[in-house]
Amino acid sequence: MTSAIEVRGLSKRFGSVHAVDDLSFEVAQGRVTGFLGPNGSGKTTTLRMLLGLVSITGGSATIGGKRYRDLDHPIRHVGAALEATSFHPTRRAEDHLKSVALAGGIPLRRVGETLELVGLADVARRRVGKFSLGMRQRLQLATALLGEPEILILDEPANGLDPQGIQWLRSFIRHQAEVGHAVLVSSHLLAEVEETVDDVVIISEGRLVLQSTLADMAAQAGTGTGMRIRTPELDRLTRVLDAVPAGWRLTAPDTLVIDGATPEWFGHFAAQHQIVLYELVQEKSSLEDVFLQLTTGFATPELAMPDRGPTPFPTDAGTA
Amino acid sequence: MIAVLRAEWLKLRTTSIPWLLTAIALVVTGLSILLYFVNHGNGGPEHPGGFGPPTPDIPHTVQQLRDLLGAGVGIYVFSLLLGVLIITVEFRHKTVTTSFLVTPHRTRFVLGKLLIAALAGAALALIVLAGTLLGGGITLSARGGSFSALAHQLGAVAPGMVLVYALFAMLGVGVGSLLTNQVAAIVVCLGWFLILENIFGGIWHGTVKWLPSGAALAASNVSAGTREQIFLFNWWQGSLLILAYGLAFATMGSLVLARRDIT
Repeated sequence: MTSAIEVRGLSKRFGSVHAVDDLSFEVAQGRVTGFLGPNGSGKTTTLRMLLGLVSITGGSATIGGKRYRDLDHPIRHVGAALEATSFHPTRRAEDHLKSVALAGGIPLRRVGETLELVGLADVARRRVGKFSLGMRQRLQLATALLGEPEILILDEPANGLDPQGIQWLRSFIRHQAEVGHAVLVSSHLLAEVEETVDDVVIISEGRLVLQSTLADMAAQAGTGTGMRIRTPELDRLTRVLDAVPAGWRLTAPDTLVIDGATPEWFGHFAAQHQIVLYELVQEKSSLEDVFLQLTTGFATPELAMPDRGPTPFPTDAGTA
Repeated sequence: MIAVLRAEWLKLRTTSIPWLLTAIALVVTGLSILLYFVNHGNGGPEHPGGFGPPTPDIPHTVQQLRDLLGAGVGIYVFSLLLGVLIITVEFRHKTVTTSFLVTPHRTRFVLGKLLIAALAGAALALIVLAGTLLGGGITLSARGGSFSALAHQLGAVAPGMVLVYALFAMLGVGVGSLLTNQVAAIVVCLGWFLILENIFGGIWHGTVKWLPSGAALAASNVSAGTREQIFLFNWWQGSLLILAYGLAFATMGSLVLARRDIT
């Protein structure tokens, strides 16, 4: 398994701000790698350093062992669709692609092919200024695909796409990996790429938090975190739990959660004390939980919360 | 290189820049012609360029032609703006990200812009020249002059005009590569040519030949030698001077761009 992209000790400082700090990861050929992190964690800066658009303060970022700028005809090897890239509003979609193809040494027949591929063939002669966000996103993707690159770098590609567009994007990305291409796709939502990626690179505050396969991360996520119990004998249960002692918290008038408990332990415990149970569920952390835990383990600014408890579940009596 | 020029030309013609500037240049040319004929009866306007004595020994029609095309030469400022816009439009609309992905070497990017600007500038010169010839010639013949005599003199002034326009468009790219903010670059260019140069030239006469407009006047003399002005460089020295200014700015611009983060 060879690395399509290698990032080694990469750093970027904007003045006194460390946007990216000693970041290292690899992207394998033939696999889809999700590049994840909250907004402002340094994803876009990393991708732009990789593509030679932003200068590197320290470390290296290479594609097939070479810096982007040292590649011969770079867009024939690397297709990039970056956020905040724009088009000239009076230029037609077709002309935009033609100009890129001409400058990049790509045959002009690719213009029609890529427009067809991303579903913009009907609006090829329309000025880009009239395009919706989703159409621009597709045109961005068409630009990236023009040179039939073996490496794709997509920065938040799902932004602005409708559900069908997202579905199409997912199958498209999977197909790219199946034909042996490497795809690095960034997102601030794990759920958005969960079905698509093989590997994950998670960063927070410019630093690497985790690089693993999605399967390993899912295994970590699947471990139990505690037991949720619904019982009519809440008072008796909490008394015997306090006697152990075991930590518990109430989640509903008749439901409590015992953190860290296993089904085996609680099964025996309940039988021993002869407590009636209506419901017995093992609590498991989801991928999203692990992701949040990993990325907020660092000092990200907390969201301001209103100064009251969680909103109670609305009942007929409660609504006025 | 041909592919780069084709790409740049496609990019340029799909913006409103060349069409708008050509239209404005033609309108200004027309107004100049009109103004010239209005003034001609009573002593005529000052010498084109605004300084230096008129040269009374050249034939009358040639004088008229030179006056007409003198108005054309003054419009080289539009060629400068053309150059400025050719490069700054990429930053204004953020298309520079795509351009740098296609062409990661930023010096090469500036070079492409210099080349297309030179060609576009030369084309603008030809259009303004044709407009001047047509508008001026028709007005001239209507007032008893000779159209063909005017047309015959074209060869004497056209090369200088094309040269100056091409060079000024390159100068514009140089300035724009350094000052990528479109509005700032336009303000600086117009401020320099409409205000500062006049002040400089007015205070220190010796600096006139070193100023871009003095060099333009020298360079526009390429095939004539008739409007030899003792305080200017000759045509090729003037041309080299404009080129040097343009390349100096473009080099500085490339160096600054090479370190610039495109975010």
